[in-house]
Amino acid sequence: MRCFNCGAELTANPFCTNCGADIREYRRIIWTSNQYYNDGLTKAKVRDLSGAVLSLRACLKLNRMNIEARNLLGLVYFEMGEAVAAFSEWVVSKSMKPEKNIADDFMETIQGNPSRLDTINQSIKKYNQALLYAKQGSLDLAVIQLKKVLHMNPNLIVAYELLGLLYLQSEEFARAKRIISSALKIDRNNTRLLYYLKEAEEGIAARFASEPAASRRRKSGSRTSQDAITYTSGNETIIQPVNSVERHSSSAIFNILIGAVVGAALIFFLVLPARIRKASEDMNAQIKEVSDELTVKNADIEEQDKRIEALQTENDELKGSLGDLAGSSGMAERYDALAEAALNYMRNPDDVTGTEALLSRIPIETVSGNGMSLAISSNTVSKLDPSIYSQAFRNLYDYLDSDVAVRAARTYIDRGKEELENEEYQLAIADLLRATEIAPSSDEALFYLAESYKESGDSVHATQAYSRLVNEMGDSEYADRARSNLTTGAATDNDAQNNDNNDDAAGHEDEGGDDEDTGAEDEDAAAQALAMQILAGAGNNGAGAE
Amino acid sequence: MIDFEEELKKFHPSPEVEDAESQIRALDVTDMVDLIVHLEERSVAR
Repeated sequence: MRCFNCGAELTANPFCTNCGADIREYRRIIWTSNQYYNDGLTKAKVRDLSGAVLSLRACLKLNRMNIEARNLLGLVYFEMGEAVAAFSEWVVSKSMKPEKNIADDFMETIQGNPSRLDTINQSIKKYNQALLYAKQGSLDLAVIQLKKVLHMNPNLIVAYELLGLLYLQSEEFARAKRIISSALKIDRNNTRLLYYLKEAEEGIAARFASEPAASRRRKSGSRTSQDAITYTSGNETIIQPVNSVERHSSSAIFNILIGAVVGAALIFFLVLPARIRKASEDMNAQIKEVSDELTVKNADIEEQDKRIEALQTENDELKGSLGDLAGSSGMAERYDALAEAALNYMRNPDDVTGTEALLSRIPIETVSGNGMSLAISSNTVSKLDPSIYSQAFRNLYDYLDSDVAVRAARTYIDRGKEELENEEYQLAIADLLRATEIAPSSDEALFYLAESYKESGDSVHATQAYSRLVNEMGDSEYADRARSNLTTGAATDNDAQNNDNNDDAAGHEDEGGDDEDTGAEDEDAAAQALAMQILAGAGNNGAGAE
Repeated sequence: MIDFEEELKKFHPSPEVEDAESQIRALDVTDMVDLIVHLEERSVAR
């Protein structure tokens, strides 16, 4: 304890050892204040809130610096629904003792829940409004408002008090008693509430006494001595009804049956639909799940189909490539032909026709150059396409071809000429055709091919061969001979045609007897016409040149 | 029997949150110790 005058620490002496002030009264005041605080604390513990408020106020009137008493007063106010009064006490407490004050926690708790604080404030506003209604005589409105207040703030004691008073005024004693009893559960020793409770109970008692006994009996359904037998057994008074009828067991069974039916109906109308709905929901969920899985699998299948299709396409392409490589006209066959040609060339260097025949099995897709005469045909450019054949393949082919082709063509020409002399025209045609294929620019091969055709009686092909020789190799020594043969053949054919016409004029005596010669004659006519055209073209070219 | 009008006069409006500041300012915190100090000062002055 400190001196109220100088603030020095007090001792057991009845005066301040520092300033000399008399502290006997001061000590009594502090002691009394503490007694009030203890009293208030005890009352608060037993929920005598209004009593606690009185004690704590007295305590603070004696010693305002009793912080515990002020904090407890705020807590009691808050419990009674008086939030603003509680806050006021806590704020004052905080100003008196800023440090280590539990009032901080109280205020933080309340301020930490703004909605709760707002609700309390609204309830206080409504209470004030209800009080105004009551003072203006609008008791019904006040009652309605107070019911709302107690719904929002069930601890507001003054609202209970006012509502109880209004019920008493309207002589609703039972309601007044009920509402006051509710308030007394919060504040057990509130003098005003107890006073109102007493009034309510007296009102109830007065009303009970004023009502006739028969009316009470009707209302309460209680039995009197006329329809009941009353007797005492030991300390207990037993009232036995006289006119009551014991219920039969059949009625009990009937009631049980009704209960069972009602239970079954409840199950049918309430439980069963819920279960059916739940089962339906489960099934729908499963269907959805399965549908999702199906969608995913369909997507997988579609993707697999696309992959299969791509692989099939690739397989077909590879098969095509393999066919190109391994087929009769494939690369493998071509390599075989080249190898066989090379082998034949090494074993029989003079068998140029055999080697050439093997080389001819290699197709020439691109002919780069072949229009030279046999005299210079050894200087050839590769006939093979570099994009198809490898460099080694082309080198070997060109080597063999350059050595074999000229000699093979020479051999075919010589053999054809010999066969022509021996009048073996078909053999000569075959050999000379081969010679022209090997050496397309060989005028000698072409001339003797035409001669062979001519001698074999194929004037059309003979004329074509002559004309080709005249047109393409006009400077050749064989061109003049071809030209003269064409002229001679045309004159001969004209004479033959004239003779035929004369025969026709003589009267067609042997008509139908010489059909086989008709086709040959047509061919001769065509060849003659072709020869005339060629000669005319050649003459024009020569005149132009001159 | 309760006198309604007299009882009603005992009820006063409850302070609202908006009135908290004025409520705090109006709070009388004078205590008995203040009275003793005052009396002590007066006796010293005499």
